[in-house]
Amino acid sequence: MNGNTTISGTVAHLLTPAERQHWKLAWLSTVDHKRIGILYMVTGLVFFVIAGIEALLIRLQLMVPNNTLLAPDTYNWMFTMHGTTMIFLVAMPVLFGIMNYILPLQIGARDMAFPRLNALGVWLVPFGGILLHFSFLAGGPPAVGWFAYTPLSEAPYSSQLGVDYWAISLLVLGIGSVSAGINFIVTVLTQRAPGMTLRRLPLFSWMTFMNAFLIILVLPILNAALVMLLIDRLLDGRFFLPFGGGSAIMWQHIFWAFGHPEVYIVAIPAFAILSEVIPVFSRKAIFGHEFVAASTVIIVFLSLLVWAHHMFTVGLGRAVDLFFVAASVLIAVPTGVKLFNWSATMVGGRVRFTTPMLFCVAALLQFLIGGLTGVSHAVAPLDWQTKNSYYLVAHFHNIFVGLIVFAILGGIYYWFPKMSGRMMSERIGKWVFWLMTIGFNLTFMIQHVLGLAGMPRRTFTYPDLPGWTWMNMVSTIGAFFMAAGSILFVWDLVISLFRGKPAGDNPWNAWTLEWATTSPPPHENFNALPPIHSRRPLWDYANPDRPDPVVPVGGAIDTFRPDKIKAGVITFIISEAGFFGVLILAYLFYNATSQSGPGAQQLDVLKTTIFSICLFASSFTIWRSEVGLHANNLGKMKAWLIATIVLGGIFIVGQGLEYWSLFQSGVTVGLDLFATTFFTLTGFHGLHVSFGLLALLVVLGVALVSNFKNGRFPALGAVGYYWHFVDVVWVLVFSIVYLWPLIR
Amino acid sequence: MTTQQFLISAWTWNATVLIAAAAALIAYLWAFGVNRRILYLLGGVGVFVLSLMSPLNALAAGYLFSAHMLQHILLLLIVPALVWMSLPRWISLGSRSWLIANPFVGWISGVGAMWLWHARPLCNAAVSSQLVNALQISSLLLLGTIFWRQILAPREQERMSPPGAVLYLFSACVACSILGILITFSPVSVCPIYAQPPADRLGVLNLVQSHWGITPDKDQQIGGLLMWVPMCLVYLSAIVAQLARWFAHPVASPPVTGKPL
Repeated sequence: MNGNTTISGTVAHLLTPAERQHWKLAWLSTVDHKRIGILYMVTGLVFFVIAGIEALLIRLQLMVPNNTLLAPDTYNWMFTMHGTTMIFLVAMPVLFGIMNYILPLQIGARDMAFPRLNALGVWLVPFGGILLHFSFLAGGPPAVGWFAYTPLSEAPYSSQLGVDYWAISLLVLGIGSVSAGINFIVTVLTQRAPGMTLRRLPLFSWMTFMNAFLIILVLPILNAALVMLLIDRLLDGRFFLPFGGGSAIMWQHIFWAFGHPEVYIVAIPAFAILSEVIPVFSRKAIFGHEFVAASTVIIVFLSLLVWAHHMFTVGLGRAVDLFFVAASVLIAVPTGVKLFNWSATMVGGRVRFTTPMLFCVAALLQFLIGGLTGVSHAVAPLDWQTKNSYYLVAHFHNIFVGLIVFAILGGIYYWFPKMSGRMMSERIGKWVFWLMTIGFNLTFMIQHVLGLAGMPRRTFTYPDLPGWTWMNMVSTIGAFFMAAGSILFVWDLVISLFRGKPAGDNPWNAWTLEWATTSPPPHENFNALPPIHSRRPLWDYANPDRPDPVVPVGGAIDTFRPDKIKAGVITFIISEAGFFGVLILAYLFYNATSQSGPGAQQLDVLKTTIFSICLFASSFTIWRSEVGLHANNLGKMKAWLIATIVLGGIFIVGQGLEYWSLFQSGVTVGLDLFATTFFTLTGFHGLHVSFGLLALLVVLGVALVSNFKNGRFPALGAVGYYWHFVDVVWVLVFSIVYLWPLIR
Repeated sequence: MTTQQFLISAWTWNATVLIAAAAALIAYLWAFGVNRRILYLLGGVGVFVLSLMSPLNALAAGYLFSAHMLQHILLLLIVPALVWMSLPRWISLGSRSWLIANPFVGWISGVGAMWLWHARPLCNAAVSSQLVNALQISSLLLLGTIFWRQILAPREQERMSPPGAVLYLFSACVACSILGILITFSPVSVCPIYAQPPADRLGVLNLVQSHWGITPDKDQQIGGLLMWVPMCLVYLSAIVAQLARWFAHPVASPPVTGKPL
């Protein structure tokens, strides 16, 4: 603990004396999850300022009717960049940052499972962000909305480079997010402190864990959609262009298969913050921990099932609409369970309305409103009337700002003392709170009415209709309240960092393990941990006479702790399966009816069969190589490894020859739908084989220069899993692309 | 023909089904006597008989792909699950067989039954041939039984651990959803025999297509959606039960003590 209130005292927190010699590198090269968490959050804050300014420009333009402040095109840039930035460069990084900082502390770990991967994830955020914003200098940013519906986002209709930058930057961010998701899962599985069983995970950690599954399942879907769009735009592909035989609706399906769960990817961490803060400031354990935990699993599951409710106005037919109305309404059940549990936690508690608690209670109330308007959108006929009106805008801002931003603010006020060792100002905090909540409700509550009155979203101006002008004026004034609140918040952050009251280890008398260490925690997080028998170890420690009931340890699964590297590779493979799943489904959909023109019959099935056999055989050889390793026969291991590389190489050469002969006969990516889907699917598989070969070569190199006396070389096993996966994908691709046309 | 007339008249008499149902009941009573769990069996047998003798079966036999899909789901997921739940908790079935005890086998059985029977030739044959139809029904019941064993085996130690079970059910839902999505949005007919009913044996084609408005492509859509959404909701219900099991019970643990791990 640091009682020193001088600036140099704070700098001492940011950097250790040794690091001050090379202070630039200390933060740039860090692999410490705490610093990475802060880097995530600071990056998010920078983009929050940018996207916030864009929001203010939008509101200024809409302040009065027939305004000419922004040109129509500029307006389109603004709402596209505002939406994209807020979701991918603000909400996700800031929440990832909080999870990165808190998760390892809360489960009693020293760091994340893969610290270097963690560093990669955080640096991909500014990289992606800069790519996206570079479009301002390269002919103009995207102007297609955050979901970039085709065919508008296709080359003939958006010929500037904006959409390309948009897609590539989201691809970069998507890869970073998947890496973070893998890291969260493996961290929870392998880095828990002794006694921290899966059932004893505090709700924040449990929800982070569940959320990570959602991340690795759906971000690859977006990645697949983006590469398809890029292939369309850059290689004249035909996926989403109706006049090339493609399907514009397909983009909507794939995008929303990602887009709907994405809402939960940013909402579940907000739920997680609420589930920590509300009990602590009610001085009660959360009401019905099991229900909150289980409802999270159900939300994850249902969120994957209901994307088509974003497409009621597309005209999918009554049958489709009906099923998705029913499934979508169901989501209200697990979210309702959560709301009831949070409310019941406060009932009868000694509630202290500190700034974090205020924000979380506000988040709960705004989420109630946003949730109810959400259910109203699940009803197709109402959705037809209100879709793309300001009613929808009001709805999702209730979720994104009302729930998520308020929960983030609550979380930062709650954990800032842990991160900096200093308290944030309660006095300024209350100002921030009232400015934000009043501003938010001024801005967005009235937009429900505007929407029902018919004001369309994404339109740069509006005529002077009765009532519209003053309502828009109110909305704009509210936005400036929020801007003032945000500026005050940043001021509070800065001033508290240097001048805040020293926090001590546990300023809120909280119960989870992050409060069992100093503020800020030392590099290794803990010197010693209290015993863990329940979900509130510090409560048990402080109240030995009336501890929480012990959460029993039953069966192997509670103490399940898989090998770190294998767990990492398997999680990675799950995410890759999602990516290939989308490409394969797209291939099946587009080739369900036989294409006219040169198609599957041009493929040389016999030749490919021979190359395929080489690839399948390489699965066997790498297995023999592992057997050699376990038998401590290193010569055998290396020999089989070389055989694997040779077989894989033959396959790649074979595929190259096949491509060459196809190109010679004029079959290129842009020729027709078959060619587009064929080259995309087999090309991405080939890319994966190539990466696998690189990894095998690295493993071989390591094997040649080291000797593994104990028969342990986990990298070989990990690459082995990956290699088998690539082979399994080829079994599917080969059957679908080459064998299926022969039998149908 | 009106809907009411159809619902009254379209019942099929099927001795084999009735004998099988009666045999199941008698065998149960003989082995375990009357107990509370027999209600599950009655439910299972009831669903079995209804799905094969009610107007649903008449529709599934050549008229509606969606009716066939509903029948398929009932026989694969509902009937075997209810039968498993009816068994007394002490009984152990096939725990020694590696094949039956392996979760991969269970998963492949449950998911494979969906994929296999919707391959076009098999799907058609199951409608046109009595024999293939009988084979389909028995295989669905059998494969469903193997699938559910991992989740619903009477003995706690023969089931999967709850988190494993959640993954098992979740991945099964994903696999069936993929097929459901393909069927829903496929521009070609998955089971062309339903697109052109060979003969309007019951004279209800007009009722189905004009009165109910279920045209062949809508029919296929509903079939795909049934597999995509409600089927996943069946898995979801099982997931909820698994979560309750996990959080509620100290799974087969020794008496809990307060000492640290």
